[in-house]
This record gives sequence, structure tokens and C-alpha cells, in this order.
Amino acid sequence: MTILIGYVPTPEGEAALDTGIAEGKLRSENIVILNSPRKGAAVDATLASADQVAALLKRAHDAGVPASIRQPGHTDDLTDEFIDIADEIDASLIVIGLRRRSQVGKFILGSHSQRILLQADRPVLAVKAGEKS
Amino acid sequence: MTSSSRQEAPLGTSTPHAASGTGSSAIEADPVEPLTAEQLAAEWDEERPPHAGPLANVAAGVVTALLGVAGVAMSLSMGIGTPERPEAGMWPLIISLVMAVLSVALLLFGRKTLDAEAFSSSSLQVAAGVGTLIGFVLVIGLTGFEIPTLLLTFFWLRFLGKETWRMSILLSAIVTAAFYLTFVVALSVPIPHLF
Amino acid sequence: MDIFGPVLNGFGVVLEPTNLLYCLIGVVIGMLIGVLPGLGPAATIAILLPLTYGVEPVTAIIMLSGIFYGAQYGGTITSVLLRLPGEASSVVTVFDGYALARQGRAGTALGIAAIGSFFGGTVSIIGLTLLAPIVAGFALSFGPPEYTALAMLGILLVATVSNGSKIKSIIAASVGLLLATVGRDGFTGESRFTFGSLSLSDGLDFVPIAMGIFGLGEILYNLEERHNKVQAPAKVANVWPSRKDLKESSGAIGRGSVLGFFLGILPGGGATIASLAAYAMEKKRAKNPERFGRGAVEGVAAPETANNAAATSSFIPLLTLGIPANATMAIIFGALLIQGVTPGPQLVQDNPELFWGVVNSMYIGNILLLIMSIPLVGVFVKILRIRAAILAPITVLITLIGVYTINNSIFDIWLVIAFGVLGYLMKKFGFEPGPLVLAFVLGSLLEENLRRSLLLFGGDPAGFVTRPISGVLLLLFLLVVLLPLLQKAVKKSRANRSLNTAPHKEKEKETV
Repeated sequence: MTILIGYVPTPEGEAALDTGIAEGKLRSENIVILNSPRKGAAVDATLASADQVAALLKRAHDAGVPASIRQPGHTDDLTDEFIDIADEIDASLIVIGLRRRSQVGKFILGSHSQRILLQADRPVLAVKAGEKS
Repeated sequence: MTSSSRQEAPLGTSTPHAASGTGSSAIEADPVEPLTAEQLAAEWDEERPPHAGPLANVAAGVVTALLGVAGVAMSLSMGIGTPERPEAGMWPLIISLVMAVLSVALLLFGRKTLDAEAFSSSSLQVAAGVGTLIGFVLVIGLTGFEIPTLLLTFFWLRFLGKETWRMSILLSAIVTAAFYLTFVVALSVPIPHLF
Repeated sequence: MDIFGPVLNGFGVVLEPTNLLYCLIGVVIGMLIGVLPGLGPAATIAILLPLTYGVEPVTAIIMLSGIFYGAQYGGTITSVLLRLPGEASSVVTVFDGYALARQGRAGTALGIAAIGSFFGGTVSIIGLTLLAPIVAGFALSFGPPEYTALAMLGILLVATVSNGSKIKSIIAASVGLLLATVGRDGFTGESRFTFGSLSLSDGLDFVPIAMGIFGLGEILYNLEERHNKVQAPAKVANVWPSRKDLKESSGAIGRGSVLGFFLGILPGGGATIASLAAYAMEKKRAKNPERFGRGAVEGVAAPETANNAAATSSFIPLLTLGIPANATMAIIFGALLIQGVTPGPQLVQDNPELFWGVVNSMYIGNILLLIMSIPLVGVFVKILRIRAAILAPITVLITLIGVYTINNSIFDIWLVIAFGVLGYLMKKFGFEPGPLVLAFVLGSLLEENLRRSLLLFGGDPAGFVTRPISGVLLLLFLLVVLLPLLQKAVKKSRANRSLNTAPHKEKEKETV
């Protein structure tokens, strides 16, 4: 079994990664880090650079958790991508970071986290930034 | 990056979309690995759609050859005149002849050049885009430019650009408002408009 | 002859607030589209042509040329940071620029490129200032036969130097020449290729053709997913190159300026070739050429200096002979014609404030670009996060509404769409759109001069050869046509000979 972690280079993403690695250690399971950039622009801030990827994998390695990373691109279907990969690797747990949002922000921007929580038919662990598990 | 972590962390799923992110880390870690022109060309070539075969060149050659022949026929009907007194058809005749001859040359010698791109499923997007442009022109005379602008922007964002519904609705409204303010309010361009 | 008076007056023109503003707008737009992959300077200038109707000719051309040389600066940024050249003229910068960026010296590369561009641009403007009046003076004696030969040579060079297949480029050029004949014939008054349409009887306008083939054609072409690769944002720190870097690249900058200046003057030359040539020259001159491709500062300095110098000097044939040297110049030529100004040898004398205004605006533009590209590089890097899909509908609407505003004519919008589709298909089938537009612009000039010359010679084409200047130009024309054929023939016969006589030994020798 494998744990799927949604990662973006933000405090929320870091929190999800920390929790995911801790869970992986606890359950002696592999982790798969999903860091999917939005396609269409030359540069996307949510994509981890090669150095960052190396650092992520090292963190998992240092914790004794075998890890791999996937960086496919998505358009308007991040939730589907998440769920497809979770199915493919038969994830025992999905870990995502949650952003604190105002009511207005939620209405305008929508929320991938919300859709993943609702649509995934596996356990989802939602972590907020600044909370250490 | 250390080699031990690489062994335990299989990087099996690199995708072409994020080559620099997931490419073999050994290359990324070596700062003096020189770039060669061939590598770059190959890399850029990969991103391009596949080449079209010789058929594309034949088709293009036939079309331009026909254009050339039609040009010759029409120029002849205009009257050529003499070099001392050239008439209207003389110059078009010369160009049409050059075009026809070169088209034949293209058919004979240029078939194997792989500079044409094959049409793919994403070419349908272009067709759809052109369709919306035609719709835009048909509607603009009837209803003014606001409604077709809104619809065109929305269609391009949502269906050609695969933006989310929310983003497409919001942005198309903003773009339409911005065009209204720029062209109607600020520049008072005499474009047909509703308000 | 008093040169300095008009030059100084030119500065007066540039320093008018409107012109300064338009110069700033031009270079900012140029930087932006240089940074963004997709639309190039030719497409952008074409799309923005309607904007220039309402303003003075000087102001319009100041803005359009700002876009052109501004794009040369912008193209560098993506080459260095993402190894994704924003413009063709920055392709070679990728080799050493990206290598430097991977060593954490992206700032050095960008800083050197900006300084080199500024220097190359400035040297080239000075060259332009000195050389242009001389060329114009020489060209004043040109008659119809010389212009015929010059226009033919110009079209041929642009067609044969472009990247694509030469045959296809010349076919594209002849389509352009044919399109230029649509409408009433100026000599006999007969209608040509109008198919009975009243809208066509006055001929095709340049603007819908340029906007369609360059602008809309490129937008449609980019709709097919092309720039698919997404990269992580790069950090740019310390854009000021060290004194050592400057010292190392000063020679490259100097040589790049001169080389770029001369290559830019040649028709069909321009920024791309200049950058390639300058890179090759530096590599050849270097004591240890293996440094190139691994982050040699000269490898960034030379091409970036040369492309900017060439972009500037490619104004010389346009402003002094009335012959545009490349596709972008063809559009600026069209913009001048729209404004009622015919570029040619008379321009310096008849319209000194336009000529010197435009030339001197390039000093200001280059200073603005230097200011923008060093401290503000971070801002421009952020622009790369904008998705092409969001810009596409906006540019398309600007094109459609823009062309309508020129004549308030729906027919013009139909023309743009038709030529947009043509431009898209041309790109798909490997035909360069540049030669078509250039030939269209020069078409009526060419035909008029050809027919005048024939009248002058009493119908004897031998007259072209006996006049010295047109004779030399036509000889060059022939050389350009025949040289590649000859080279091919020589290669073939050599290959045949080596195959026939002693095949083994010869082959071994050749591989060694």
C-alpha cells in the first residue's frame, strides 16, 4: 500500500508532506508525491524545481520512507488526476494541504481540496499549515 | 543530490510536460554538462507536432500550380501587349508563370523536405476557433459587439483553453467590460454596440 | 552639408512628451512579447497597426520600432532562464545563457546581455546616423530600372535567406506579388482579379493582409498546443555582472556590434543571422573554445549584442532605399505608407523630423530598455506565468475590432479572417509568411518601375543590363539564384566521381 501526498511549494504543501512522511513511517508504507503543474504557461509557481524535488526525496529518505514523485501536468482536471493516480497506485491514504479561505475566496476560486475530499472514495487526511502532527 | 537517495526513490514517472522537474537528476546536478545544438534541436523538435509526409508537399504544390495556371489564364484574357506597350496582363502573367514553374519544381524535387506539419486532433481546435470568428462577424452587425465578444472570449477560454468554468465566466465578463471601456468609452470608436 | 542641425532637431522631436510616451509603450510591449513565447514582433506590430492611425507618423513609427528592438531584449530572458528562446534571434543565447543560469549565474547572463544589447544598439544607431544619409544620397540617382532590380533582389534575398524551403518561399513571394496586382491597373485602368467585386476594385489593403497573415495566422497556429512544457519559476539574483565578466566580454561586445551592424543592413539578413554569426565568430576566436556551451560569458554577450545591432541597422535599407530588409520592416514600411509617407532616398531631405525622430528615439528606447531589463527583470519573469490560453482571445478580439476601426468595414474583418486562415495553412505546410507580405508591399512599386523602365528602354529588356547599377544588382540576383544550384551540382558530381573511381580509398579519406 502507498500513501499519496499532494505537494505544492507552499506552507500548506510542506505541512501535507510532513504529515505524509510521518504517516508513511508509522505505517511502513511507500509514499508517492504528486506535484502537478497547471499546463498552458511557460512557468508555473506550483511546480517544484529539480533542486526542490531532490530535497523532498532526501527528506523522505532521511525519514526512512521510500518515496517517488510524479509531476504530470493538468488543465482543469486536477481532482480527476488526483483520483486517477490514487486508484492506479491503490493509495491507502491521500494527504492534502488545506488553505484557510474566506467565504468570498471560496466562492470565487472554488476548491480542489473540497472536491478531492468529496469525490475520493479513500481516506483523505487534510492538513493545515502551521499544524504539526 | 546524493546517489543513495536516488536509488531508493525511483523516478519512474517522468512526463514530457515537466522534463526539467523530473528528468534524470544526475544531469541536472552536473553544472558543466555542455548543451549542444543537436540536443536542443531534438528537444524542440519533440515538442512540435509530427511532420507531414510528402503528400502535404504534393498537395501544396498542386494547389499553387493550379493557382499559377489560373493566373496565367486570367492574365492572358486581360491582354499582354508587347514589351514596348505592356498591357494589364503582362506583369501578372510573368508572376503566374514563375509560380507555376516553381510549383512543378516543388512537385518534382521538394517532396521529401519535411517542413510541413501533420494535422492532428488539436487542429480541430483551430477549425473551431475559426468557426467562432465567423460567428463573431455574422453577429456583430446584428447585435453590436458586446454579446459576441463575451461569447467568443468565453468559448476560447473554456473550450479551447480548458480554463475552469468559474475562471472563464469571470474573465470573459472582465474582458468584455475592458473592451467596452477602451473602444466605446475611451476611444469612441464607431463600432456597433448595444449600450 | 549640414548634418548636425537635423540630427539635433530630431532629438527635439523625440523629447516631446507624446513621443516619449509612445516610445515607452513600444519598448514595454516589445519586452513583453519578447518574453512571452508565441507572438513574435512581426505579429504584434501587425496587430497594433490600427492603433497608429490616429497619431502622427513619427509617433507611430517610434512606437512600432520600439516593439521591434524591445523584443530583442525580451527574447533573451526566456532563453537564459528556461532555455526557451522567445525570439529566433535569441536561439544561440540558450547554449551559454542557460548553462550560466544552471550555475546560478542567470543574473550575470541577463546583465551582460542587456549591456551588450544596449551597446550594440547604440553603436548601430551611430552607424545608421552616419551611413544613412550617404546611402540615401547615392540612391537619389536611382531611376526605375535600378528600383526594379533592387526590389527584385530584395524579395529574392528575403525569400532565400529565410529558414524554410527556398522554392516554397519564392512561391509565397509570387503569391504576394499577385495579390498586389488585385484591383484597377494604374496604367490602363483595367480591373484585375476583382471577380466583379466592388470591394476589391481599389485593390487589397496592406493592413488586413498583414494583420491576417502575421497576426491572426500566428494566433491560430499557437492554438494547437505547442508550448507544452511547464517549468518551475527560476530565481534571478544579482543582475549586475562583475567587472571581470565585463572585461571578458568587452571584446565580444565590440565585435558583435560591428558584425551585427553590417549583417543587419543586408536584405534578408537581420537579427537572427547576426546572432548566429557572432556566436560562431567568438567560438572560433576563443583560445579554448570548449568553454562555449558550458557557460562562457562571451557566448551570451556576442549574439545578444549582434542581434540588437542588426535589428537597428536593418532600418537603413528601409529608410534610405525604401526596400524593407525583413518581414518586420515590411510591416513598418506598410505603416509608413498608411501614414502617407513613402520611405525612400528623399525621406532624409523631405521629412527630416520623421527620419531623425525615429532614429534618435532608438537612443531613448535603448536606455529605457536597459533600465527595464536590469532592475525590473523579476517583473518580466513573472509574466511568464500568464497562460497563453488567456491571452489568445484578447489578441484575437484586438485584431478583429482593430481592423474594423480602420475603415468601419465588415469586409475588412472577413479579409483578416481569410488571410488568417491562409497564414495558418502556410505555416502548417512549411511556407514562410514573411516573403508573401514583403512581396505584397513591394509589388506595386516593382510593377510600376518595371513598366516605366520598359517604356524608357522602348521595350528592350537589355537596357537593364547596360545600366551599371541595375546591371550589377541583376548580376547579384543571378548569383543568388544560381549559387545554390551550382553548389549542389558540384557536390553531386564530386560524390559521383568518388563513388566511381577507387570507391574504397576515397571514402576512407573523406571520413578521416
